[in-house]
Parts: sequence; structure tokens; C-alpha cells
Amino acid sequence: MNFARRFFSRPAAMFGFAVFVAIVMIALAAPLVFARGPFNIVGMPLLPPGAPGLLAGSDILGRDMAVGLAYGARVSLLVGVTSTLCAVGIGILLGATAGYYGGLVDDLLMRFTEFFQIIPSFVLLMVLVAFMQPSLASTVIGIALISWPQVARVVRGEFLSLRSREFVEAARVLGMRDARIIFTQILPNALPPIVAVSSMMVGSAILTESALAFLGLGDPNLLSWGSMIGGARSAMWVAWWTPVLPGLSIMVTVLALNFIGDGLNDALNPRRRH
Amino acid sequence: MAEPLVSIRNLTVSLPQGADRPLAVEDVGLDVGRNEIVCIVGESGSGKSVTAHAIMGLLPRGVTATGGQILFGGVDLLREAPEALRKRRGRDIAMIFQDPMAALNPVVAIGRQVTEQIRAHRPVSEHQALNQAGALLSQMGLKDVASLLKAYPHQLSGGQRQRVMIAMALSLSPQLLIADEPTTALDVTTQAQILKLIKRIQAEREMSVLLITHDFGVVADMADQVAVMRHGRVLESGAARSVLGNPSHSYTRALIAAVPHGESQLPPPPDARPLMQVTGLTKRFRRGGLFSRASITTAVDDVSLTLSKGETLGIVGESGSGKSTLARCVIRLLDPDAGEVLLDGADIAHMKAGRLRPLRRRIQMVFQDPYSSLNPRQTVGDIITAGPRAYGEELKQARARAADILQLVGLNPQVMDRLPHEFSGGQRQRIGLARALMLRPDVLIADEPVSALDVTVQAQVLKLLDDVRKQMNLAMLFITHDMRVAAQVCHRVMVMRHGRIVECGPTRSLFAAPSNDYTKALLAAIPGRQSI
Repeated sequence: MNFARRFFSRPAAMFGFAVFVAIVMIALAAPLVFARGPFNIVGMPLLPPGAPGLLAGSDILGRDMAVGLAYGARVSLLVGVTSTLCAVGIGILLGATAGYYGGLVDDLLMRFTEFFQIIPSFVLLMVLVAFMQPSLASTVIGIALISWPQVARVVRGEFLSLRSREFVEAARVLGMRDARIIFTQILPNALPPIVAVSSMMVGSAILTESALAFLGLGDPNLLSWGSMIGGARSAMWVAWWTPVLPGLSIMVTVLALNFIGDGLNDALNPRRRH
Repeated sequence: MAEPLVSIRNLTVSLPQGADRPLAVEDVGLDVGRNEIVCIVGESGSGKSVTAHAIMGLLPRGVTATGGQILFGGVDLLREAPEALRKRRGRDIAMIFQDPMAALNPVVAIGRQVTEQIRAHRPVSEHQALNQAGALLSQMGLKDVASLLKAYPHQLSGGQRQRVMIAMALSLSPQLLIADEPTTALDVTTQAQILKLIKRIQAEREMSVLLITHDFGVVADMADQVAVMRHGRVLESGAARSVLGNPSHSYTRALIAAVPHGESQLPPPPDARPLMQVTGLTKRFRRGGLFSRASITTAVDDVSLTLSKGETLGIVGESGSGKSTLARCVIRLLDPDAGEVLLDGADIAHMKAGRLRPLRRRIQMVFQDPYSSLNPRQTVGDIITAGPRAYGEELKQARARAADILQLVGLNPQVMDRLPHEFSGGQRQRIGLARALMLRPDVLIADEPVSALDVTVQAQVLKLLDDVRKQMNLAMLFITHDMRVAAQVCHRVMVMRHGRIVECGPTRSLFAAPSNDYTKALLAAIPGRQSI
């Protein structure tokens, strides 16, 4: 109730949310409106936006760009959200355990985390996806596997500083179990940075998926914004809209997610409650 | 009478919009004469610090002096050009702060920090400045000055740091020294030394000192003149002796009455079977390892004590004495390395977590920091019912009991739906106490429960703790650094130093005839002991 009001009192958060909802609606509506799918050829290739019946023009194979963008939103959002959820789950579990227990547990878990961090992540991702065969699932798993260390680090840092707070000691004195302390006492206080990091991560996961698809490592049966840019490489100089429109879609989506992240961060901060 | 050095007239300072009140300081008048110590005394939010910072022209952003004058030797500082005011700082007026660690640059050696100050104002060579710095530091009673000049702030003790700060402040022989709670962060014996130093320097240099404090004991020891402030106004001012001896304002009387006077009222302990028995408790901390040399400090060294129902045992010690570590071992927030803690005959010092859990509710704790001891994201109701809920009590029943307990600690039960940040420090401590009492404990450990509170609130919370102890027949372990507070609520007192107990006895006899030298020093260091 109050939370929503605090969130929407920020124009940027409101804008980000509106844009995000619009993109989600487009993604959901795509198969209903464009039942024939994004790979269907509708006319001459490289028609500019505004040509009869082609709001966003056509691509190098004569497919409707507008349909491609709508279907691409499905892939981008699905990959961005699910891989972030997985990464946040792993990150919270490992980061919280390391930060709360400290000592040897912390050392072991952090060395394990560093193992993932010292490998160039995109190279690791390409190897993983190629190894698992390019598909939606392998993209999601791969992105989750390269992005959880970031969450784990943030969560661990928060837990390290929060676990010595007196209210956590009080909870231990009251006889609460560790799991309960971690999830009901510390985690809610560690949420703002986690939420902020996650919303940015959805954005970067969308970018990573685009990069994978651009390199041809995306799911071959799905059209994503990244594969649209990849496919437009050769037409870049004659048909500007072919790479620019999916690029703009990525940019607007990531921007909206960052605005949402900032808004959530402020709205979750109890000091601002009045 | 000679013209005063500083004359503050009708000073009004406004706070930014959205603050809890429009004016930080309202219509304040205050004179600081030459060669005298003037104390401004008040609780937090009284405007005492703002007044001092206004003299220095160091008000925080958004806080502005909107009216009145601050005359310094006839010149109005509020209307002086910023550059002239900058030159005046350090040269004419110097200031020292509460936390010398925060005021010193951690990555610059002491010598350079002191010479920098000198050379910013005077055309002297590095070598001359260093000599002056050395001379100043030894005047401050610091030993081994040569190595001190090369040391970094973290290598010094709190008292040494404050001496360095005073040396820096005095390096340009200012006419006025403003000291903003200069000893609040220090141990009581160090506090006594620093206050003595300020007094000696003031007399030697015939300078003026404006001392900001919350402690009437300090006022009694130091002040020639005193001004009592509250809510941004001066309530009462005059010669220290007359204000202390014959306060005219009721608030001043309340403040003086609230100062713990160091006289024990409690009778000797009831002679009962001990509920808790601690023997040979030892806790060591290991630092470093793998890539650095490991070092071991023994924080608690072979400590034994007993605690009976209805009794309050005070554990008094300065910072680093191990008193908090002892408390945390007794309640098993830390695992002791040796010794036992018997609660009704069961040793909880080495009990496995699973067996310990049902016993935890019998020992509860009230924490020091009213701000970090309550989860900022939970409502008061959730905070104080969390304990019983962890033991499976129904929410409805727990909330009903919570309402009773809240009333017991002097809060309206309707506060249950509110969040901690809506409460004052004293109210938060009451909530913390309610949380502990919800489990109907046998033993209550209070770790510095009033050290973060203003003196009038402190008195209320101490009284509440004592009332609750009587009503619930609690055994209370009361940790404090303040002998005066210990005297008020404890039947027996244990004095700790370097992890060991140096003296233990009934409060009255320990205060009347301390046998240990350290205890004597602690008692002698209580500010205002002779006068209040």
C-alpha cells in the first residue's frame, strides 16, 4: 500500500514501470496478434519503416520487423528474468551462508566464487552454451552461472556487516534458529542492494543474451533482439532500421529496468517511510 | 568588569525545512570572558553544539545563522568575510571534537598533521615547525615525542589522540579554545586526565575555554561560568557555583538530580542460593593466520562469579577490559575457551546448539545501542513477539502478552504497529527490554543499557530496570563503564581490567573503602565527585 505510493512518487520509477509493463504486454500479445510467427516472409526485403502494412519495415529476408521485435521481447524478457532469478537464488544462498557463518565456510565459498570470477565470463558462457547445445534453457543456465558471483558478493558483504548488529544478536539470544535469523532478520535488511543489483542484472542478462544470439549461439528456433542485430550486420549501411530498432528495444528495456531498480531501492528504504 | 572575549547576542540559527523544529538555536545570549572556562551543558538536541559551531563559522549545510551577533573582540563573526574568518580559525579560535580519531587524518603521520597546521598560518621552515610540534606535544604530557611524531593516528590510544588534537588546537596560541564534548568518547580515567590537562593549559596560557558537555559532573569540575541549554534556548546561566548550588530553573534541578551521584542506596545482596555460577571463564581471540602472523589476545581471563535471584551484579570496567566479552560468553553469543557457566546446575558454556536452544529463553539481554538493537524493518509488535513465536507460542496470545509487557515498560500498547525509527533512544531501550521480558527470563544481562542515552532518560531507564528486576525477581548482570550508574542499581560490583577481576564486593563497601589501586583510580576519576 504505502510501498506502492513511495515507488510511484518517483517519476523515473513510474516511467520505467510503465515502459516495462508495455513491453511485457507486447511480449504476451505477440502470438495472439501475429499468429504466423516472426519467421514468416511478408514482402520485399529491406522496406523502410512506414511502408504499407509494415510499421517497422522489413528485414533482409523480407520478414516483418514489428513482428520480430514483438517476438524478440518474449525471448529477451524470459531470458533476462529467469536467469536473474536463478542467479539471485544461488547468490543469496551462497552469499548468506558465507557471510552469516564466516570463518572457514566463508573462505571456502568465497574461493569457489572467485573461481567463477577470474575466468572471463563471456568466454565461459560461450563454452557452456556451446557445450550444452544452443537453446533457450542453455542460455538461461549459462547466464545464471556467470552472473551469480556478483549477487553472492553483495549478499555476503551485507550479511557480514549485518550479522554483528545487535538486533541479530538479540535474535540469537531469543533462541531463533539460524535459517530463521537469516531469512527473517537479516535478509530483509539486505534487500535494497540485492533488488538494485538484480534489476540491473535483468538488463545485463538481456544484453548478454543479445550478444550470444548475435554470435549465433542463441536458440536457433527463436528470434531474439540479439539475433535480429546479428542478422542485420550485412544490411547495416543500406537499411539503418534493421540493427537500430532491435538495439533501441534493448536500450529502452534495460533503461526501464534500471529506473525500476532505483525506484525499488528508494522505496524499500524504511527511513523514507513517513 | 572587563569586556568579554566572545559575546553572543540574540543568536538565532535556523534548520533546513523538514527538520523536527524550525530553529536549532533561538535568541541565545552568552558571554565568554577572558581567562575563564565557560560550560554549555545540555542534552542531545539542545543546540549546544550548534552554538559552538556557529562561533567557528562551521555550521552544516542548510543550517544558517539568521539573526543576532557573535562578537569576538568587538568584531561580528557572522558578518565577517569568509577569508578573514578562515584565517581566524586556528589562529584566534581553535576547536577540538568528541572523536579525535575522526578528526585526525588516518594516513598522515602525527608530526605532519601538527606542522601542517602551524605552517598554514606561519612562515616557518619544516624543521622549525617540527621542533615546535615536539615541544607542544610534550607540553601536553605526552612521552617519547620523537617516535610519536612519526606514528599514525591508529597507533595511539584515545587519550593520546585527544592530546594531539589539543596540541594542534593550541599550536597557534588561540585566545579561545572550543571543546565540543572532548571526553565523551574516552574512558573515565582518561577523561579525568584530559580535563585536568585542559584546565592546566587554560590557567598557564590565560586563555578562554568554551566547553560543551552533557555531564554536570564535568561542569562541576571545570566551569567558572555555565549556561544550561534546552530545545535551542538558554534556560539559565551564571557562575558555576551558584547554578550548581542553587539552580533556579526546574529543568536544571532535574538535570542535576538525574546525574548519578555515585552513592549506593541498595542494601547488600540478599543471601540466596546462586542461580548462575560462572567458574574460570576464559575467552581468547585469534587474529591473522594463513598470510600474517597470528596473535592471540585473552579478552576474559579466568573469571568466576555467582548471581542470585533478585540480585543485580555490576561489572564495571573501561573499554577493552573484557566486560562485554564476558557478558557475551555467559549468554553464549560467543563460545568460551575454558570454564563453565552453570545455570541451575546445567553447564551452558559448552552445550551443543540444539540442547542450548530451549534454555536460551531463561537468559535474556538488553543491548547498548538503541539504534542497532532493533530490526529497522520490523514493527515493534513483530520484534517483541519474535521470541515467543520462535518457541511456538500462538501469535494472538503473544500479542496479548506483548500489550501487557509494553505497559510494564511504560509504553502504550498501540505502538505495536509502528517501526523502530519512529521512537527516541529511551523508548527504543524500553522496546528492547520488552523483547527480553517476553520470554519470562530468569537472568537479564544488560550491556551498557543507558550509555547512549541522555542523562534524564538514563535515570528513567535505570529506574525501570530496577523496578522490573524487583517485580519479576530477576537476576541481573549489569555491564557498565560508569561507576556512578553501577552505584545506583547494583547490589554488588565487580571491577574488571585487562580481562581479569581486580576487585569484587558489595557496592556500598566497595565504594566506601576500595582496596585495589585501580578501583581507587576509577572512583577518583568520577567527574564532579567532590562537588555534586
